[in-house]
Amino acid sequence: MRQGKRITTSLASPTDAATGSGETETSSEQTSPTTSSAQPLTTDVVITHEDIDRAHDRERVFAARACRGILSKFRLLWLLVGPGILVMLGENDGPSMLSYAATGSRFGIGFFLPFVVLTFVMALIVQEMTVRLASATHRGHAELIFDRFGPFWGWFSMIDLGIGNFLTLITEFIAIRAGLGFFGVPPWLAILGALAVLYLALVTHRYWTWERITLAAAAFNLVFVPVALLARPHWSAVGHALITWTPLPGGLTQGTLLILLSNIGATVTPWMLFFQQSATVDKGLTKRDVRFGRIDTALGAALAATAAIATIVATAPLFAHHMSAENFQAAEFAQALEPVIGRFGAALFALGIVEAGMVACITISTSSAYAFGEVAHRPHSLNLPLHQGKSFYLVLFLCASAAGAIVLIPGLPLVYVVLVVNVIAVLAMPPALVFLFMLANDREIMGDLVTPPLVNVLASGVVIFLTVAGVLFGISVVAPNLFAFIAGK
Amino acid sequence: MRPEEQQHGSSASTNQELVLSSLELDQLAAVKKRPIPRRHLRGFEKFVLWSLRIYVLFMIAVVIYQVLAGAH
Repeated sequence: MRQGKRITTSLASPTDAATGSGETETSSEQTSPTTSSAQPLTTDVVITHEDIDRAHDRERVFAARACRGILSKFRLLWLLVGPGILVMLGENDGPSMLSYAATGSRFGIGFFLPFVVLTFVMALIVQEMTVRLASATHRGHAELIFDRFGPFWGWFSMIDLGIGNFLTLITEFIAIRAGLGFFGVPPWLAILGALAVLYLALVTHRYWTWERITLAAAAFNLVFVPVALLARPHWSAVGHALITWTPLPGGLTQGTLLILLSNIGATVTPWMLFFQQSATVDKGLTKRDVRFGRIDTALGAALAATAAIATIVATAPLFAHHMSAENFQAAEFAQALEPVIGRFGAALFALGIVEAGMVACITISTSSAYAFGEVAHRPHSLNLPLHQGKSFYLVLFLCASAAGAIVLIPGLPLVYVVLVVNVIAVLAMPPALVFLFMLANDREIMGDLVTPPLVNVLASGVVIFLTVAGVLFGISVVAPNLFAFIAGK
Repeated sequence: MRPEEQQHGSSASTNQELVLSSLELDQLAAVKKRPIPRRHLRGFEKFVLWSLRIYVLFMIAVVIYQVLAGAH
């Protein structure tokens, strides 16, 4: 359904829009859309199906905002949450949960519980910027980088994103395959099933419905909490670990550094920036909604950190029993945990890994499709009917299908691939963060929502931390003796 | 005008009113097709971007080396 409406307007460039200087009036005049943004513009504006769906969503937000009382506030929160929770629980993906499981089984809880909390604080700091960017500009992240910094830098960040997303998608299918393997499901059926779920989440062609279906699936990530309870942890030890932050067991070695990077890569990755900004734009959040966007992101970080901590706590008994879990996949973790948490607990663990892979598969492939649409100037919204968003849905589905097919290659070193992908995610993060940092500090597009100084300090700290971690990893590989000297060995 | 055409026209008009009253102008899909003006990168910004680009390429080479070494 396409309905045309000719609107004559002083078509504010986003720069003007950020400072609130745009004004709208209806008329039948029309002039060239290439006129300088400083001058009033007139153009044809076609109202699309995507606009109408988004307008319906916004109407409900306005209605909730107009009502008074605590219930209305909760309704408003319910209407406005989504991208933040999805991105955080989406990043608690298959490889991340396996990484947390490997961490718990190899190092116990002492060092890594507070470390995981720290990584989610870092994720919160950077993801909050995407909420402000989306609300101020109504543009996706890839689009902003291309427009603001030009195609040269735009393509670099797109290549980083494209490669990173594709490799990560492969690991999601590895997780799904491994998790369902616990129940005896053959690999080809596991991959086909995952693609079918991905397709079903899309057939509604409605952002709101897609978001709610994916949120419901993402909530299953908390299944790791009952798994942790079944492991009967010593709560005093957990509390002690969280507040004291004991040293890294065995000190800093190449192996522990790989696990550290893997844990960071399990929380802060480039696709999250692109996904949350594009999803926030697709949802239709505006400057008035930024506060709720922040709550959404903080809520997501808290839920995801809880699931991550629960996974480490659940697998810590393997560390206590000195069981080697270096090359475990999901099925092996579940089997190894069976004597501790029982068959039911092991089945929950395996299902949790499947869910983690599935939700990330949906969000990461959507992130690729958004970015492709933004840079190719093709329609890109989950509100698009199939015939209007062919390229969007095609990219989304092709990326997922190709990644799924690769997982079926016999003899692929799956566990190694998972670790390497998380490391690559960390290495690609500093350039992505610098673009985010520059955009969020760009007063011309951000207006009042420009990043405050304190957040700039914290974000700079995150960039430095990630760069140093990556450099240390490089030194540990290229010059192990120098690394041993730095680590004090 | 036939009744179904009238009905379609009325529905279209309602949708237009809904969109114009609910969305900000720069939220419209058609308006978002207009590019944002390019900004000029300063010397220091270019230096940082190039440094990080070289960093990423070097580190990817390190990871590939690590993978190949691991394979042997």
